[in-house]
Formats: sequence, structure tokens, C-alpha cells
Amino acid sequence: MFRYTVKRLIQGVITVWFIATATFIAMHSVPGDPLSGERLTNEEIRANLEARYGLDRPLFEQYLIYMGNMTRGDFGISFTQQNRRVNDIIREHFPVSATLGILAVVFAALGGILWGALTALFRNRLPDVVIMFLVILGISVPSFVVAGLSQLGLTSLNALFGVSILPVAGWGTLLHMIVPSLVLGLGTMAFLTRLMRSSMLEIINADFVRTARSKGLPPTRIFLKHQLRNAILPVITVLGPAIAAITTGGFVVELVFAIPGLGRYFVQAVQQLDYTVIMGTTVFYGAFLVFMVILVDLVYGFIDPRVRLE
Amino acid sequence: MSERTVRDGGATPRSNLRRDASRDPRHSGDGAIAPQRHDDPALLAVDDLHVEFDTYGGVVKAVRGVSFSVRAGKTLAIVGESGCGKSVTVQSIMGLIPMPPGRITSGTAMLDGIDVIQQKVVEGEDIRGSRIGMIFQDPMSSMNPTMTVGDQIAETLEVHRGYTRSQAAARAVELLGMTHIPEPAERAKQYPFAFSGGMLQRAIIAMAIACEPDILIADEPTTALDVTIQAQILDLLDELQATTGMAIILITHNLGVVARLADDVAVMYAGQIVEKGSSEELFHQCAHPYTLGLRAAMPGNDPTREQGLQAIEGTPPDMFDPPRGCSYFARCPHAMRLCEANLPERFEVTPHHYSSCWLQHPASPQEVPGLYRGAAA
Repeated sequence: MFRYTVKRLIQGVITVWFIATATFIAMHSVPGDPLSGERLTNEEIRANLEARYGLDRPLFEQYLIYMGNMTRGDFGISFTQQNRRVNDIIREHFPVSATLGILAVVFAALGGILWGALTALFRNRLPDVVIMFLVILGISVPSFVVAGLSQLGLTSLNALFGVSILPVAGWGTLLHMIVPSLVLGLGTMAFLTRLMRSSMLEIINADFVRTARSKGLPPTRIFLKHQLRNAILPVITVLGPAIAAITTGGFVVELVFAIPGLGRYFVQAVQQLDYTVIMGTTVFYGAFLVFMVILVDLVYGFIDPRVRLE
Repeated sequence: MSERTVRDGGATPRSNLRRDASRDPRHSGDGAIAPQRHDDPALLAVDDLHVEFDTYGGVVKAVRGVSFSVRAGKTLAIVGESGCGKSVTVQSIMGLIPMPPGRITSGTAMLDGIDVIQQKVVEGEDIRGSRIGMIFQDPMSSMNPTMTVGDQIAETLEVHRGYTRSQAAARAVELLGMTHIPEPAERAKQYPFAFSGGMLQRAIIAMAIACEPDILIADEPTTALDVTIQAQILDLLDELQATTGMAIILITHNLGVVARLADDVAVMYAGQIVEKGSSEELFHQCAHPYTLGLRAAMPGNDPTREQGLQAIEGTPPDMFDPPRGCSYFARCPHAMRLCEANLPERFEVTPHHYSSCWLQHPASPQEVPGLYRGAAA
């Protein structure tokens, strides 16, 4: 188990290095640079700035310098936001995105497992038909539509009662987090519901479930220890990529709900070719996701003993 | 109940195992047929069981009026070809058929005055696992892959006997030892994927007998195993019956297994029992043409005789629309005109040996070679 963990971590480091290199090359292949803004009037100022940021050096040398700084944990200074270090941007805004993302993943996983198990138990009956209809909606309607509609619903609701029950936008309290994280997790929840339903249907009449019944176990115990625990395995497998999709895909929801998350800086940086912020946020997200996938795989080993040996 | 309470309270559960060699069927008789044994009271009496399944093609009448009884400490074998309803019969008793599409339309299974088809929980305890244990055909898929073998055995004891986790775990190791699994303490901590098929079937047997049930239902326990392992599992069942005194209902299509283990035999065909009696009677005084056909179809191991496998011609009847008369009519080489439209009565060939065949009727003219004609005829 220890060797397996170490092996996965080394693989993870290689993956992150690859992400950093690929981003670096892609970023510099885009025409223009952070200094091709409107305010630079003459060549002299431009040359000075290039020298200051090291942009006048050969690309490979820039790459080596950047990688050297990165391994020391320094992502550099933003080009467009004067005197702001990328590390500070991440430190200030990532906790917001992470909180939103984690809540969304929790909603998605719990909801997906619950609804999936429920639809399987009520297969082809009313609860199944209703939930599966909603699942199709959840998968096909994009999150900015759901986000907008939910805000509309919230304002009507608050207007109806005359007091603010749930805030429509902003960030700060737990109440602010509920609706955005539900909206953010919705698509994944719908996807996990479908997955859970099919895997539960496979398990529901499995031989070992019949054995459990023949042992005279109470139905709740059969459901929890024999059906759910086995049906949940495929859901856990996709949970790693799902966490990836949710945390990086939070940008739209953050924008609609005016949440000061990292997603906004991530997208702005690409638009403004802010080299250091692009590199910093991409590498940071990449490392975060690689780590989450490894974590999920390790957890999987605890639930399914057959994986542990490999 | 009082006896059960005493058993539950035992600090050393193993001491409660009944060691009673005189109950071993192989020590009971001197001659080929010992009629006095039939006077044992029935432990489980199944009466007129009917089971149907709704399918897209219509209603399948899988079990049509099956009655049999199991004597305490004895082995009843239910034999018949695939699809004759033998597994459905026992799974209905255990409440294991999926409903819907399955449906038990009538029938009772009395165990100590309680109809276990209607009532699975007696005084807060499920009779499944505690009074009736069951083992299945395919050991590889019959155990939960995400629980250790020891935990799965212990689970039954925790639920039915109220053992603590550590008590149950210790007892699980003992049970694995009883089923001759080497290094039971190590094995109990392993998951099913680390076991071979034969080992897993032993573990499943250990699980089924954990609460010392009165009856063990073995639904084709050796079909998925290779031949040498089959023999070991049968020996194990035999040994456990001698030490615990439990009754066994053995579902099989292997007549060799029947000859080896069974005291009583019920032969099923198309959802009905066509002949039942003691094992000796079924082999030596066979009174139904279907049983005769099954016996003729048994492969012999005499190298001097060069003969192919003698199959029974034809296929079993369509269970969507079972025949009005004898269900074996279409395949029976000795069928009479009467058989087509008239359901055979149940004839008592000798005491407690029954055959549902018109050839046993006193007025039946035919003389069939090999077929035993009872006193009634």
C-alpha cells in the first residue's frame, strides 16, 4: 500500500510537470504578449519592461527560470495587476472556489447515490420515471441557465415573503453558499444518478444479495452493507474526474452569483495573456486535480479490497 | 423456544453441537429398506405449493402442487432436469424468488406449527439463517466481494444470536475450522477473491450452519465445482450432518450424489413430484417411467460395456400451457391413451413410496420391464 501510494505520487509529479510544460509552450505560441497592451507608447519603454520581466531572453531560458522558481513555490508577479503576487491571488481566492467546489461535490455525490439507489429500487415505477426525467434535464440544461433561473426563482421567493430568505448573489455566510453549490453540482449529480442507478440494478438481485437474504438479515443491513457498498464502487471511480469538472467549471457559476473565486482570475488571465497568472492558476489547478484523483483511488482501495493488491 | 434459549445462552457455542452417531442415516438400517424409519415425524412439511412467474410470453407455472416432508436429521434429495422447478420450490420456501414477477399462489410449509411461506419472522427472529440455512450453486458469486469471509459469517451470528463482534469473529474462525479450511484465523480476515471455488463453498457452508439450523438447503452445491472438489464437499455435508443432526434438502440433477447422500428422494418433472420414496426404493423399486428413464440415462463406468448415453427422447413440456394429463405423456415410452387427458392419481406403491403414474393403477394392463408395480396394482 505504501509503495503504491509513493508510485502514484511520483506519477502525479510527472503529470504536473507535463501540464506546466504544455501550458508554457501553448501560452507562448499565442500571438502577442502581456505587454502588447494599449498604454505602451514607444519601443524604449517596451524594451525596459521586457528586460525587467525577463521576456527578452531566449524562450528556453525563460522556461528554465520559471520552472526553477516554481519548484521553490514562487509563481511570480502578475503582469496586469501591478504588485500582486500570483501566490497571493491563489491564497486569497482559491479557498472560496474550493469551498464552493467541495460543497457542490458533496451535494452531487450524496444526491447522485441517493437518487440512483432510489430509482433502482423503484424501477419503472413513478419515482423512477419522475427522477429520471429530471436527470435528463439536469444533464442537458447548461449551468448558466440553471444559475439564472434559480436567481429569478430566489428573487420571486424573497419578494413573496417580503424578507430575504436566501441571498441572490454574493459570498460570506453559509446561506450564500447553498444555492450556487447546488447549481454547480447539479449536472454532476444527474450524471452520478444515472451511473448509480445502472450499477444498483446490477447489484440488486446479485447472487450475494440472495445469500444475504437467505441469512435472514434485516433489509436495511442488506441495503447498506451488501447492495449499496458494492453499487457505489463505479461512482467513486468517476468522483475524481467529477471533482475536476466541478472545481474548474465553477467559473460560470462564480460569475453569475458574483462570487470572488479563483475562476474569474483564471479566465481573465487567459484573455489578457497574463503569463504568470495563467501558469500559476493552471499549474495549481492541475496539481490539485491530480492530487484529488490519487486520493480517490486510494479511498477506492479501502472500499474495494480487490484493488488494494495492485 | 425454551430449547433455543438455552442454545443461545451458551458461552461456548461449540459445546452445543449435538453429537449423536445413532442419527447418522448410514447406521440406521440393516436391510436395503427399513420401513420403520418413515415413522419419524416431519420437521418441515410442504403442502400443495404452487408458484407462477409473469413473463412477457405469459404466465409460467413453474411449481404445480408440490408436497413433501423433511425428516429431522435426514437428507431429502429433490432431483429432476433443468427447469423442472426444483430450485424455485426451495427458493419459494425461503422467500428468495423475486416478487414480482414471481407469485406463490397457494401452499404451506409448516415448520414447528408455523407456515414459513407466510411468516418469516418468529418472535423477532428471522427463521432464515437461524432455523433454515441455505447454500447455493455458484460459490464464486454467492459471497459479498467487499466483506471479509469472517465478517460475513459473523454477521449471521450478530443478527440472530446477539453475539458481540469479537465473540462472533471468534466463532466464525471455529466454523471455518469445522469445514476443514486450513489456517482459519488467517482465512477469516481475507476477502472472497482470495479463495478458490471449493474453499469458498466450504466458507458458505460454514456461514449457513453458523446458527446451527435444523435444516440446511443445498441448491446444487457441487454443480459449479470440479469433480474431486465435489466429492470433498459432499463428504463435508455428510460429516456435518452426523455431528450437528441437521436435516438437509439437497437439490441436484446428479443421481450419483443422490445415491451417496440421500435418505429420501423426490423426483420432480415439469413442476410436479412424480415419484417419492426412500433412496433405496427409488433405485431398486423404481415405480415411475421418468425415474426409470433418468436411471437409464446415468452414465456407467463399466469399461467392458460399450454403450452410448441413453437420453430420454424429447423435451419437457411448455410451462406456459402445461398438459392437462400426465406431464410426461409426450416422452413416455409406455404412455397409454388414458394418460393424455387425465392427471395421474398418486398411488402408494409401498408404504410412504408414491408414484404418480397410471401404470400403478390396478386395472393397468401393461407390463413394463424394470418398473416396480406396487401392491395396489
